[in-house]
Amino acid sequence: MNALFLATAYLRYHLWRSVILVIVAAVILSVPFISQTLLRGSEEALTSRAEATPLVLGSRGSRLDLVMSALYFSEEATAPLTMAASEAVWDSDLGLPIPLYTAFSASGARIVGTTLDYIEFRGLELAEGRPFAVLGETVLGASVAGRLGLGPGDTLVSSPENLFDLDGVYPLEMQVAGVFAPTGTPDDEAVFTDIKTTWVIAGIGHGHADVINAAEVEAGNVTASAALIEYTRITPETLDSFHFHGDPDGFPVSAVLVAPWDDRSGTILRGRYLSQENPVQAVVPSEVIDDLVDRIFRIAALLDAVAIAVGAAAAAAIGLALFLSWRLRAPEMATAFRLGAGRYVILRLALAELGLILGLAAALAAVCVYVVWSSRESVVAWLLAL
Amino acid sequence: MVATVNYPLAYFAERLAGTEQVSVLFPVPADRDPAFWRPTIADISEIQSADLIALNGAGFADWVARASLPRARLVDTSELFAETLIETESITHSHGADGEHSHTGTASFTWLDFEQAATQARSLATAMERRIPAVAVGLHARLADLEADLMALDAEAEDIGTALSGVTLVATHPRYQYFARAYGLEIVSLDWDAGAMPEDAQWQALSDLMSGTGAEVLIWEAAPPEEAMVRAADLGLAQAVFPPLANRPAEGDFLTAMRASLDALGVLALELATD
Repeated sequence: MNALFLATAYLRYHLWRSVILVIVAAVILSVPFISQTLLRGSEEALTSRAEATPLVLGSRGSRLDLVMSALYFSEEATAPLTMAASEAVWDSDLGLPIPLYTAFSASGARIVGTTLDYIEFRGLELAEGRPFAVLGETVLGASVAGRLGLGPGDTLVSSPENLFDLDGVYPLEMQVAGVFAPTGTPDDEAVFTDIKTTWVIAGIGHGHADVINAAEVEAGNVTASAALIEYTRITPETLDSFHFHGDPDGFPVSAVLVAPWDDRSGTILRGRYLSQENPVQAVVPSEVIDDLVDRIFRIAALLDAVAIAVGAAAAAAIGLALFLSWRLRAPEMATAFRLGAGRYVILRLALAELGLILGLAAALAAVCVYVVWSSRESVVAWLLAL
Repeated sequence: MVATVNYPLAYFAERLAGTEQVSVLFPVPADRDPAFWRPTIADISEIQSADLIALNGAGFADWVARASLPRARLVDTSELFAETLIETESITHSHGADGEHSHTGTASFTWLDFEQAATQARSLATAMERRIPAVAVGLHARLADLEADLMALDAEAEDIGTALSGVTLVATHPRYQYFARAYGLEIVSLDWDAGAMPEDAQWQALSDLMSGTGAEVLIWEAAPPEEAMVRAADLGLAQAVFPPLANRPAEGDFLTAMRASLDALGVLALELATD
């Protein structure tokens, strides 16, 4: 007890040195656990979401980029498809196509333009409000809503793509209609809206003041000034003026999730996109993600070995620091010895100091691991969305 | 629940459902034109919750283009004859950097060609069978009954078309493009408000149209004020009221109301033949 009291007093007297030692030891202890937690969490998140998505259609190119952008809304952009690819699946009557257009963002979150089928497909539940009902409405993922402090009735503005593109994409103010309950998936990090709203952001659809009067109609050709005001906000008053130009089959989509009616339909669908001549490819996400996870774990094993070596070196450095510290304290120990403290008492004092440092480091490491473990789903979702 | 955008589809759905377990939602108020009605957010939320949402297609109820509806539960009942839809006048304009473009309209009262109506009923039945298993028992028999009724209307309309061959008809509103095409009728259209007394300028436009086309028959979209019918009669026009039934009739149903309209046209054709 006296040894513990003296060790505590010593560590408190050398507070900053003690704190640094505790932190370094805690980092050495916690890093392997944290990395394992995140790796296992990522594997679980990647695998479960991939397995819940039977098929993805996208432009021919990197299969991994396609899956990462379609399932995890990552920033890897693949060349857009057209809506015709989605309609072709619908017309084939082999499955339900769910188009996604993920080209834009708002306040750092990916805007996912899709159809209401996505909500059913992913089993998303509303925590507040209702699903989007008209152009310009959004439903926020739980993390986005929490981070931005937004809820039903608030507004969110899409981010301009290029400040110098004066004729390009303009920001659109969107109305928040609802917030999804947390799912621990990339859906928490996204802003969902009708795909038609993302086409408005892309400039394919727009609303503007009436340009037509009876005389002009009679003439059959109406020319509006380039200064005509286009609406950047969709309200009940301006909603009716919004319209789209061109053939909807030609409108862009980033990818199409497909839920085949059955295994046979899925096989037939995959067969239709095998030809290299076809600009559209069909990818089974679980195959791509299994391959990715294998690679990650091979790299992770190497990283673990490196972490062990670095940890051992750091532990040796801590040991050396403690040893040198004891060498510096030799006069202090000699005084204690002359006062009647035996070698056993001095050993107890040293062990008490070491035990306190390691105990505090273990406690701190446990807190860090617990914090990461308890929020691993949102941390993993955030990491995957990067 | 089956949600529909116009009365003919609601009627077809009611006939095909055959059970009280399946309700039919047709949210348009009786005094509103379903083609131009605008749903509230509450209306859209109710429609979103339906097991099946039956659209007419052909640009009917254009609010659909600005609303979010689940693709898996949508059926476009005119999709099978989309290639043969009738395009209406377009207006060309330009603004901003988009260059010149036009909004082409499409005639949307597709069910007035009763063969097309039967196709729409078949599309609806197929979608109901897939989305609402509760209607499956006896569905094919109910569809056959409905098709038989529609084809009977088609046969009657064919006879009227033959009887009115060579006669130009004027309609008070451009609703009858498919009826005219299917049954070989020459119908030119005005743009009068349904059920309202036309203004003097509109009567003048009618006179001019009669002079230009030799029209002998006026088809009212909805029963007009008595004095309007008298004034049209004074112009020498034979008249019939032929509601296109986009909305629910005050009395009867789609079949009885449509039969009444065709009967009125049939009587008129007989009168013209007698004269």
